Amino acid sequence: MLDFEQFAIPKTGVVGLVGHNGSGKSTLLRLLALLEAPTEGHVLWNGGAVAPRQRAALRRRITLVEQRPVLFRGTVRDNLEYGLRVRDIRHSAAHGMIGDVVERLGLGPLLNRRRHELSDGEVQRVAVGRALVLRTDVLLLDEPASSADRAATGALYRTLAAERAERPFAACIASHQLEDAYRWADDIRALAEGRLSPVTPENLFRVELPAGEGVKQVRVGNIVFAVMTDRSGALVLAVPPTDIFVSREPLASSARNVLRGRVSGMAIELRGAGVHVRADFSGVELIATITAEAARDLALGPGSPVVFSFKASAIRVF
Amino acid sequence: MEFLADGFRRAWSLLAGGDPEVYRIALLTLQVAVVATIVSCVLGLPLGYFLATRRFWGRRAALTVVNTALAFPTVVVGLLLYGILSRRGPLGGIGWLYTWQAIVVGDVLLALPIAAALSAAAIQGVDPRIRRTAETLGAGSWLTAWTVTREARFALAAVITAAFGQVVAEIGTAMIVGGNIRGATRTLTTAVALYTSQGDFGMALALGLILLVMALLVNIALQVLQGRGGG
Repeated sequence: MLDFEQFAIPKTGVVGLVGHNGSGKSTLLRLLALLEAPTEGHVLWNGGAVAPRQRAALRRRITLVEQRPVLFRGTVRDNLEYGLRVRDIRHSAAHGMIGDVVERLGLGPLLNRRRHELSDGEVQRVAVGRALVLRTDVLLLDEPASSADRAATGALYRTLAAERAERPFAACIASHQLEDAYRWADDIRALAEGRLSPVTPENLFRVELPAGEGVKQVRVGNIVFAVMTDRSGALVLAVPPTDIFVSREPLASSARNVLRGRVSGMAIELRGAGVHVRADFSGVELIATITAEAARDLALGPGSPVVFSFKASAIRVF
Repeated sequence: MEFLADGFRRAWSLLAGGDPEVYRIALLTLQVAVVATIVSCVLGLPLGYFLATRRFWGRRAALTVVNTALAFPTVVVGLLLYGILSRRGPLGGIGWLYTWQAIVVGDVLLALPIAAALSAAAIQGVDPRIRRTAETLGAGSWLTAWTVTREARFALAAVITAAFGQVVAEIGTAMIVGGNIRGATRTLTTAVALYTSQGDFGMALALGLILLVMALLVNIALQVLQGRGGG
């Protein structure tokens, strides 16, 4: 179940959608692809609610590549040309239209193969190609690199960049690889338990949490975080930038995490009146958001010593 | 033992000798079965697709009705159809009672639920991602249906075989609405029943063998079709 006010993809932007499995990413993408209708609420296109009779026509302008895509029977070429053929594009014309994508994604050697002759990663690559050749206004990708190795992932994102350089389109890429989302998206939204998470995607750390309950000490680079959680295993820690107290000197407080470092950069938020204070703590970088007034009062600047404090329970684990 | 051996000998001589009566009956049976299979599949496969893919009010009830109809006793269907087609019945005017067309109608009533229920199951067995993928790649409802159907083609071929098997082997409606009239509505099954009751075991056996061969040929044809065209 999804439960949030709104989620928008700008006309020419790439939105990264992060969240663990079961967070609702795939459901959200299927709604956006107009494959399912929301039980409550609306899907809007250019600001107008999509009426049921518009769905089929709009579906030709939006395409989704599912997390575990399937290929139709037939060859890889048949699959790549499927969407063009249903748009009444002749065989000979379709042949030429898939060329660029085939080359960029390295699909040439696979063209005459059938689905049972492909690896999972290859199926995924063909599925992305099958969507890209359609040059739709909106491209939705659900974990497009989940079965790909590093090289294939690189090729995939380079292809997307090349396509976007040729023509602007909107894209939404769901991924649990936060680094990927970070690298490729203009804007990142986090989804957790069907809600748009209040945690902005800064200050994320991949960790291995030990078993047990209560406050745990977890090493991240050269520093140690105190985290309050009952969860264990390979997880991601998120320190919400707004939950960090910024001071010049250590504060006497209940915060279990008190880190001394130096300001490495400051940026004023484009929207809102916040200031992002980026600081380095023995090689680990953290960002805190404070008000412009607070930044003035603290007289912070690049290189100045700074203390970040936050409670063990402020750290989100996902 | 002597009786059985005699029966086989006579059956063989009838088949090998090209007995016109035997072949007329076989031909009529084939005609009825092919027409009834085509009609029931042309109606039943789209119905099955509809039942499998659309969510509508009363869908569950519709599926229950179709599944129950699978077990309809053939004589009961024959009896009802007899009431409809007999001179005093609502459709008595068209004069189809005791014609091969009446047998076709009866057979369609029996094979339609098979075609619908089994094809619904076949379509439901197709990976749901196939349909979503076709839709998101821009296929309209007809092309989506065609794409999904292509994925289920082996199962659907089995549905057609099952419908043909039902039609060619049933005796209840053929006997009641066909009337087992020599040269007009005598099919393999009604003839086997008749000749057996008349004591002509050899003739009944010859006809029974043809029935078996027909079923065998249809299944072989299906297997050949399945052997072709990989994934």
